[in-house]
Amino acid sequence: MRPELGDLTDAQKSKNAKLSEAEAIDRAKQGDAGAFEALYHLHKRRVYSLCLRMTSNTAAAEDLTQEAFLQLFRKIGTFRGESAFSTWLHRMAVNVVLMQLRKKGLPVIPLEETLEADDESPKKEPGAEDIRLAGSIDRLQLKLAIQNLPPGYRTVFLLHDVEGYEHNEIAAMVGCSIGNSKSQLHKARMKLRELLKTNRAEKATRS
Amino acid sequence: MTCDEFGRVLPELEGGHNLEQRAHLRVCPSCSELVAELEAISREARFLGLEDEGEPSPRVWNSIEIALRQEGLVREPLTTAVVPFPRNVGRRLTWLIPAFSALLLILGLLVYQNGGRRQLAESRASGVPAQPASVPSVDEQQLVELVATGTPSLRAEFESDLKAVDGYVRDAEESVRSHPNDEIAQQYLMNAYEQKAMVYEMALNRSVP
Repeated sequence: MRPELGDLTDAQKSKNAKLSEAEAIDRAKQGDAGAFEALYHLHKRRVYSLCLRMTSNTAAAEDLTQEAFLQLFRKIGTFRGESAFSTWLHRMAVNVVLMQLRKKGLPVIPLEETLEADDESPKKEPGAEDIRLAGSIDRLQLKLAIQNLPPGYRTVFLLHDVEGYEHNEIAAMVGCSIGNSKSQLHKARMKLRELLKTNRAEKATRS
Repeated sequence: MTCDEFGRVLPELEGGHNLEQRAHLRVCPSCSELVAELEAISREARFLGLEDEGEPSPRVWNSIEIALRQEGLVREPLTTAVVPFPRNVGRRLTWLIPAFSALLLILGLLVYQNGGRRQLAESRASGVPAQPASVPSVDEQQLVELVATGTPSLRAEFESDLKAVDGYVRDAEESVRSHPNDEIAQQYLMNAYEQKAMVYEMALNRSVP
């Protein structure tokens, strides 16, 4: 019989807190229905939020959430605990979304392309010279601008800047080089900058 | 270093610049502003990753559950019980009930105040003195009526939301009753109460002037 938590030291309490999800995983491996449900409710919001950000469509996000969890539960027997469970699940959800984008024929990420100097050097944008962004990015406008990015740019931007993946991880997931991932990310940020400035210039003109 | 040269290496830089690049940024306001803006976009984007976009509808879990059974991955009869974990919990849970009761009481007072103001206005118009009112018990039906009065189109939506979240709360409460030391059940219950409070808040925001 396990000792009650109140009898344990802080280190032991911390250890026990981590056992909760670990025990759910162990029981899920044995086919415990309640364990599956518990794991689902623990992680559903994060997975759904990820899917919604990457698809901008609630129905698609729900379908992808469902698929991500099904894949998780089918493969849960292979989870060895080398990484955090949530990290493993998150990666699985990303792969499910990327697979879906490929099925739809949408470019997950453009093929390797050389950098063009004209695209990279800072330009003077006529009509937007006075519009500065640093320190005052409107988050809602940023969200809308992200939705207007080309699919390839949006995928890399979301994976790197929003979800926090490194370029080597993105390259492995989408099947491109690290250099291409960096290039696409930079172009995505430049495009967002342009969209945000245009939006701000339009607002300034209207007011 | 020219702006073109700086622009060519910019995609490779992740916040770090060498001496030459830093020197260029010191003397070139255009490149300096570009870097600052790109970094600001990246920083703000990180907050988007922390945002909670909501949760999937109940049909998602229902579909998962069905698929798990069909694929033979579930090896016991499905129950609503969650995995029992012996934990000392009482302290984590006990604050929830009075907190939720306080929330419901506050909502009841708001409903009363709005009903009271209307009653007073009506009584003034009719010349009949208003009945002294006492604080009513929290009555969800009163809240439904309040929503319906202010925004009839939202009544069906609110009733539907309330029904769904009440089911969620009932399941969660049952889970905690069955497994009082289960940390996952407690978290489940906390989530359920938070969602119910959100449903109330949304309804009041839309209907209370």
